[in-house]
Amino acid sequence: MIDPLTSIGRLAGAGLEAQSARLRIVAENLANAQSTGSTQGADPYSRKTILFESKFDAALGAERVRVDAIVNDDDTPFRIEYDPGHPAADADGNVKLPNVNMLMEMADMREATRSYEANLQMMKQARSMVSMTIDLLRGS
Amino acid sequence: MKQWRLLVEPIHLFGLAGRHAEWAATRQATITANIANANTPGFEAKDIEPFESVLDKTSLRMAATSQGHIGVGYGPTGGNEAREVDTWDVTHSGNSVRIDQELAKANETSRAFTLDTSIVRSFHRMIMTSLRSTG
Repeated sequence: MIDPLTSIGRLAGAGLEAQSARLRIVAENLANAQSTGSTQGADPYSRKTILFESKFDAALGAERVRVDAIVNDDDTPFRIEYDPGHPAADADGNVKLPNVNMLMEMADMREATRSYEANLQMMKQARSMVSMTIDLLRGS
Repeated sequence: MKQWRLLVEPIHLFGLAGRHAEWAATRQATITANIANANTPGFEAKDIEPFESVLDKTSLRMAATSQGHIGVGYGPTGGNEAREVDTWDVTHSGNSVRIDQELAKANETSRAFTLDTSIVRSFHRMIMTSLRSTG
């Protein structure tokens, strides 16, 4: 087991990585909010969600977070819009639009940002604790 | 070296402050693990034993008189026994980490660590003063 103050850097680093992966997925979803299929009746872009998992790290002696999987959200139905001129329109003239909900993505983005900040705060605090210890060596 | 130990050990303030600092660092690592897992489903927030109970349980360490001895009693004094705490709230996913609560705890721990280093520094200054005045 390594020094707790050193392990903080790695634990918080894993948190930062996980939250930034989450932000990337949010960006992907938002960017593809209007991505429809190109052939008749084709499925549009399907919203993605990220799954986190805590895994015990023996070297750190603590549970660090990691990205378990990035999966497609198949439970939320696609939005249907009547647009017969669209290349992806089916026989009835209905176009399937991605199941991306802007409001939900924004809320997810906010939460990811908050968690990211909290991890960063812990990293900063650990760094100041380390420098406090090193400062003891300074002649007083 | 021997004399130095004699000078410091009876007062054992360095030892106490050092152990408290170790405890604070371990607690900070536990809090960081909680915050990193703030969005992990089913993760339960953890905390370590308070320093008082760690101190109460500590017994004397056995000295290793031969190199073949396994380090008896050696280990982190920081009370790394993780236990669940009464958290403010549990979300639907079974996660019991509240970021605000954890950050408050982190600040408290950081303050304790600052106190430890300040104590060590001022005590060191005290010793240095007494050493210099004899010269």
